[in-house]
Amino acid sequence: MTDPAARRVLVLGVLTAVLTATGIIGLFLVAPEDSGEGQIQRIFYFHVSIALVSLLAFGVAFVAGAMYLRSQREWWDDVVFISVRLGLVLAVLTVITGSIWAKAAWGTWWIWSDPRLATYTLVILLYSAYFVLRSSAEGSRQARFSAVYAIIAFVSVPISFYAVRVAQSVVHPVVFTSSGAAMPHSMLIWFVVALAAMTALFFLLLQVELMQHRAQRALREVKLRLERG
Amino acid sequence: MSGGTQYVVAAYAVIWVILVLYIVAMGLRTARLAREAELLLRLLDDRDAAGTRDEAAGVGH
Amino acid sequence: MNPRGRRQYLALLRKDLRLEFRTRETVVAMGLFSLVIIILFEFTIGERVGNTAPIAGGIIWSTLALGAVLGVGRTWVPEREQRVLDAILIAPVSRLVMMSARTTALVIYLLGVQVVVVPLAVVFFVNGTSAVNLLLIAGVCVLADLCIGIMGALLASMSVFSRTRELVLPVLLLPSLIPVVITAGGATDAVLSPSRQMAEYRGYCLFLAVYAVIFALVAYATFDYILDD
Repeated sequence: MTDPAARRVLVLGVLTAVLTATGIIGLFLVAPEDSGEGQIQRIFYFHVSIALVSLLAFGVAFVAGAMYLRSQREWWDDVVFISVRLGLVLAVLTVITGSIWAKAAWGTWWIWSDPRLATYTLVILLYSAYFVLRSSAEGSRQARFSAVYAIIAFVSVPISFYAVRVAQSVVHPVVFTSSGAAMPHSMLIWFVVALAAMTALFFLLLQVELMQHRAQRALREVKLRLERG
Repeated sequence: MSGGTQYVVAAYAVIWVILVLYIVAMGLRTARLAREAELLLRLLDDRDAAGTRDEAAGVGH
Repeated sequence: MNPRGRRQYLALLRKDLRLEFRTRETVVAMGLFSLVIIILFEFTIGERVGNTAPIAGGIIWSTLALGAVLGVGRTWVPEREQRVLDAILIAPVSRLVMMSARTTALVIYLLGVQVVVVPLAVVFFVNGTSAVNLLLIAGVCVLADLCIGIMGALLASMSVFSRTRELVLPVLLLPSLIPVVITAGGATDAVLSPSRQMAEYRGYCLFLAVYAVIFALVAYATFDYILDD
């Protein structure tokens, strides 16, 4: 395999498979049952990993957006677009699994007083707007506006989180903390594996889609040349 | 199932389903690529056919 | 800003304000729209909860944010109507000057609306309050308007060059303004609560100031790329 992109896909694919399998086996069969939350706590491993990787995806989009504005290279625009889409899917997953956790732990599907659940809902709204803007802008503005918006949205994420948190600390003095800061090592290790697995999965999917975009662009070029004569 | 196991299963099932759906969406995009490539191939075929016809016509003169 | 920039800034601002003063289209429409929403909230929520004092801040700022969408949507309309939208891209005026003038004009429109709407809302929802409290709320208005003005000018410049302008703008603007609405509402509630919560008020105002500074920097870093051909 001479294409470096194909080699990266292979490496990332194997890595993702091994890490996911290890993580799933570990968190279900090896990790101890949480003394406080019982079995429910096993949602934590992938739920939090997915949440963190979705932020990573938005961070990648932010950096790629800045790189696009500097270099105007189409490749960076592809990275922004794919990262935002992946991040959005992961954010939706975070909210759904978080909602399931809320049901299991607190008996309700939705709990506004959990700042993370609320923030991720805002984040989904923020980044959905990215696609509205992208489909509406035309020509060279599409990539430029997308990049600018990816930057604005990523800056908005911590601000939204902080706003939600501050507002809630006033209204609800008790803030739910579902992630034990003092997690025992026997649990932490599986969380790290799950996090690594999701990170690898993100880069794998990013790589695969970048190749699709590459193929798309090559085909468009061929078409142009054929039409020209 | 006791102790909230059903919720753990549900959470992982949702993760699985959404990831598979994402792969399906990727597959649909790949299908579009394939269609586009085939279209170009047909375009090339047409051109080749037209080219040979022109040549044939040129010889006839 | 150098003297030339300051002159251009004042000229642009004066042009916007003179146009607005002649027709009064934007401010009147924004004000009426905000009043309608206030009345809507009153009949759908106020009537049912009875004591609206604890939620007044949230209602006021949700209303003002929705009204702001109208004003922000008008940002580049004079240029568009006179078909000189593309001409401003090659105008020998720095982007910084252009965006600052837009932001200032927006802040002035918003303040013009709030001078009428906020006292009315306070009368409707809290049955009046002291002059000191109104002054404190005026402080919130200035800070929040600055946030809305900066974000609005930034996002409006992208939406105006897009295909579906008026559809894109609310979807882009409102999610980004949610932190502003949350904190401005919180600050207003802190003032209006029976025992004025000055510590809370200061915290929220600080947040608004930080928001304004951060997005002013983001705008400064990106608007060259937005208004670029």
